[in-house]
This record gives sequence, C-alpha cells and structure tokens, in this order.
Amino acid sequence: MHNIIVRDLLRVRLSQMLINEKYKEGKFKIPIHLSFGHEAIAVALSHVLGKEDKLLLTHRNIAYNIARANKLRPILDEYLLLKTGLAQGRLGSMNLMNVEGNIIYSSSILANNFSVAAGVAMGEKLKSNPSATFVLGGDGSMEEGSFYESLTMMNSLGLPVVVIIENNEWSLGTHISERRIHIDVEKMTSSLGINYVRLEGNDTCKYMDELQSVRNLSLKDNKPICVEVIVKTLGDRRNPPSPEYPDGKYINYHAGPTHTVNLLQEKPGIILRFDLYDPLFVTSEHVGLKTITELADIVLNELKNELL
Amino acid sequence: MKYLEYMNKLIIEHVITTENCVLFGQNINGGSCLGGLTRNIKVTEKNKIFNSTNAENSLVGFGLGLMMNDASAVFLMKQLDFLLLGIDHLVNTYNIMRSLKDKYPQGSFTIIATVVDSGYDGPQSSFNNFYDLCAIARVDGFNINNKADADHVFTKEFLQPGFRIIALSQRLSKEELNETALPLRVLANGNIFQYSEGSDITIVSNNFSYTIAVDLIQTLNENSIEVAHFHINNIINTDWKEVIENISKTKKIIVIDDSKSIQSSVDNLLSMLVGIEISKKIILKRQIGDDWLYPRSDIFEINKKDILNELLHN
Repeated sequence: MHNIIVRDLLRVRLSQMLINEKYKEGKFKIPIHLSFGHEAIAVALSHVLGKEDKLLLTHRNIAYNIARANKLRPILDEYLLLKTGLAQGRLGSMNLMNVEGNIIYSSSILANNFSVAAGVAMGEKLKSNPSATFVLGGDGSMEEGSFYESLTMMNSLGLPVVVIIENNEWSLGTHISERRIHIDVEKMTSSLGINYVRLEGNDTCKYMDELQSVRNLSLKDNKPICVEVIVKTLGDRRNPPSPEYPDGKYINYHAGPTHTVNLLQEKPGIILRFDLYDPLFVTSEHVGLKTITELADIVLNELKNELL
Repeated sequence: MKYLEYMNKLIIEHVITTENCVLFGQNINGGSCLGGLTRNIKVTEKNKIFNSTNAENSLVGFGLGLMMNDASAVFLMKQLDFLLLGIDHLVNTYNIMRSLKDKYPQGSFTIIATVVDSGYDGPQSSFNNFYDLCAIARVDGFNINNKADADHVFTKEFLQPGFRIIALSQRLSKEELNETALPLRVLANGNIFQYSEGSDITIVSNNFSYTIAVDLIQTLNENSIEVAHFHINNIINTDWKEVIENISKTKKIIVIDDSKSIQSSVDNLLSMLVGIEISKKIILKRQIGDDWLYPRSDIFEINKKDILNELLHN
C-alpha cells in the first residue's frame, strides 16, 4: 500500500480525533456526526473521484470532507460558524459542503439527496459530460420511499450514478433488528435492474479498485450501480445498568463527542479496534504497525501546526 | 383563446428558445397532456422532455438537482395537492441552495401546478392553499389570472435563474382567457399589478380572485365609488409600500381572497396597517364551516349588494 493512502487514512482518523477532543470541551455550536471506522471508504472514494465527478453526502459526511479538503482549519471554522469556514460559516449544521472539492450537496434528511443526485446526473448528461455522480446514504435512508423512487428514476433515465449505502446497522440508539425486517439491498436493486456490489473488510486499496470499476461500468452503461459498504461507526458506549440491561445497554456511536475515543500519546492509540472493522488496523496488517505509528506522529504534527 | 391553451402556448414559446432545458411530469409527453396543458409540446435537440415516474417528492429533488447543475428544469404537475409530497425539498434542499447561491451555477427550476378550485372533488382535492405551501419555505408563488399577468410571469420568471412555483386555476382553465385586463402600474418588481385608480376605496385581490374583484369594482363604479385596485401576483410579496400609501389616502380597504388558506398574503398586508387610519375595512374570505371536508362547490361568491350597502350607508 502506498504511503500516500496511509497518510490520507491517518489524516481522516487524526483530524476526527482532534475534533472529538474539542467537541468534548464544548467548543462547537452545532452537532457533528463523527465517522470513526468510515475512513477506508472515504479515502478510497476521494481517490477514485474524477475531476468533474459530483459527490452528494449525508449528515455523516465528516470523513469525506476531511478526505477532500487540503486543510482542517476551514472544517473546524465551519463548525464554529466562522467566516473562515468552508462555506464562510453559513451552513449552520453538520451538513458540510465543499463545492470546489466536488462535494456539492449534503443533507441530514434521510434519502433527500438521492433524487437531487439524479437531477445533478441528468444535468451532466445534458452537457454530455463524461462524469459520474456519487451519492451516499445509510441503512436508515434505504427505508425511505425516495430511495426506491430515485433508483427507479435513475435507471429509467439512464443516469450514471453510484449509490453508496454505508450500512452501520444502527439508527440513533437503535439496532436495525430492533426496528425493522432485514432489507436485502441486492435483491431490491436487482428487481429494478440495477447492479449491486458489496464492500466489506475495510481494505482501502481493494475499495479503490472496486469503486474504480463501478465508476467505469456506470459511465459505460449509463446506469446506476448500488454499492453497499459494511461499516461499524466506532466510538460506542454502554448505557448505565438497568433491570432490563444489567450490564447496561450497548449503544453504537451516533452523534456528538465520543468519550471512548481519546487522542492518546501512547502508541498504538490511533487504532480503535483490532479487527476488520477498523480501517487503521486493516492497514497496519498491510504496512506494519511501526509504519502506521511513525506516520501518525508526522500527520498529527502537521495537523497541529495547521491549527496553530 | 382558452386560458389553458394560452398557458400551453407560453410554455412552448419560451422552451423552444431555451437550451439545456428539461421538462418532466406525469403524462406530459403525449397521453392525457395534463388536461391539454402540454398538448403538442416539443423541444429542440438541446432540450429534453419525458413522462416521469409517479414520485413527486423525488421529482422535486430531481428538479433542484438539475438547477444545481446549471440546467433549466420544469416540473409540470397535474394538481397542487401532489406537491405536498415535496415539501422537504422546498424547505431543506432549496434553503441550502439559496444560502450557498454564490457557490452554484445559476440554474433554474419552475414547478407549474394546477390548483383544484372548481369542483366537488371532496376532501382530497380541497387544497386551494397555494399561500400555505409557498409560505412554509418562502418560495415565490405566482398565480395566473389573465393574459397580462401570464405574459409578465412567463417573461420575467419562467426559466429564469432561481426557483419558483406558478399556479394555474382549474376553474379558469376551460374559460376564455381575459385579454382585456391591463395593469396601470407594475409594483414591487412585478409582484403586484395596479389595475385601476380611484380615490374612494382600495381593493386588494389575491389568489384567483381577480375577476371577482373586477365584477365588484364594476358595481361600485356604477354607484359612483372610484376604486384603486391592486392584485397580488406573487403571493410571497413583502413589499407593500405603495399599496399602503394608497390605503393611507383612501382610508378604506376591501381585501378579497378566494383561497382556503387561513392566513394569506392579504392577512400579511392587513398586519402591516398598524398605525394607519382606516375608516372601513371589509375582509372577503371563505367562511370555512363544519362541512369543509365534504364535497361541495369551490366557487367563491361575494354579496355585492351587502358590500355596496356597507359602503354607502355605514
């Protein structure tokens, strides 16, 4: 794996850690949905994105925004509603956008962005631009009617859109199994004549290869493709014990600061989980823990210098 | 020419001279043509027209996505009720686009919808509430009552950068277009037309009540009452300066609103009259009774005799 990819992964992880520390101190005026554990798909997509491609995100967009931005300061400043922010402090929510960095829209209304992506892709088609539109959603968004409506529309109109579902199996403090039946995205999309690709294992280079193929195929066939990515959003906790849950109910991280993630000086505190659900652990298996920790020091210093 | 035929003519005339334009809606390209609204509509090679899926929420998002990407989108909607499904985009998506206006190209999106104001269709189609829909997100909303306001709206607003909704009246659709209405003055950047000058009373009409106002004015004129008549074209108008100046002089006002909105543009105007000396205020709005959920006539009627008596004897 190339060091640039490792550095990008570390940048997304460490930037979020720095933001998390400030978040714990109550520095931000708006809510933020952190994305620890989403670094592999964010970095892979950022590398695959063509110059003219468009990217439409959800409320959990921070990893993608860090991956697409050259600097951390404008992101922090946007959260602080400052004029030096990404959008001059005008956004007032976690929905960051960076039009110059191809992130043209973000929405926290579940499934809202799928149909907007269809319109954007139609606009590209009108201009005969050979570009792809990427739109993100979560496992909650595919419960919304607009997911189905937009897929139908995209395929009916022959639009090259890559629909990426980040499935972390949780919605707020509720696991999927606590709120609905299982949705087989492959069967659902296949019933609409749309190809389906499943990504799991957080291997960034493998994700890049897969996304590149998906992008090329979508453009070649002028068709949408649905990619389901299995992720765990890290930073979980347990509620206080109760009669129903004597050990405290397990809650996957959703939003706000996570107190189970700390910017530790001891190595290898950068890795949050020693299995396939942590992209940094997966990367350490490829390049070695030593490389990860050495590069982490460099990237952290760079980020701290940026924020001086 | 019928009202609906003229609207169709205007759409075709403007679209044919525009590039990068996408028209969509259910059955607009052949089929029922939305009761004739899109009959014989054609586009050039640089434009696109298609029959859409039945997915109003997503179609509104689709139109805003096109606008975001520098296209001119037109969503032709059978009736305004369907737009209730798209409120999320009217509020959230459009607000984001407005707040980052300088970041996006200057695309265009227009929704043309018909207000069902003509029948006995029952509870489902009683949504003659254009103001409510536009007010929820401060979206510009234009009513078409006659040739003059149609020409103005289609020239100055349709296919122009930004987003707006144009509402047509089902009641007027099969009637002859009013081609005689000529505004004396265009106010508030075209949001209001002044149709007559008079020193005795000010009449402000709203929604699709232009002809009701004209009929009343004729009766008042026959009784030597001279009327200054204003009609609100854009129901989200916020510039009342010249209308209020007129009311300050006449000191009498009649507002006419044939919609079913509890609050509307005319209420907005009335709320701005604090501190203005007014000797007569007549508010002509629908009296919504207990039977409002049952099929009943949508025709809005006023009692001209009572109004005349009120003005002559009180």
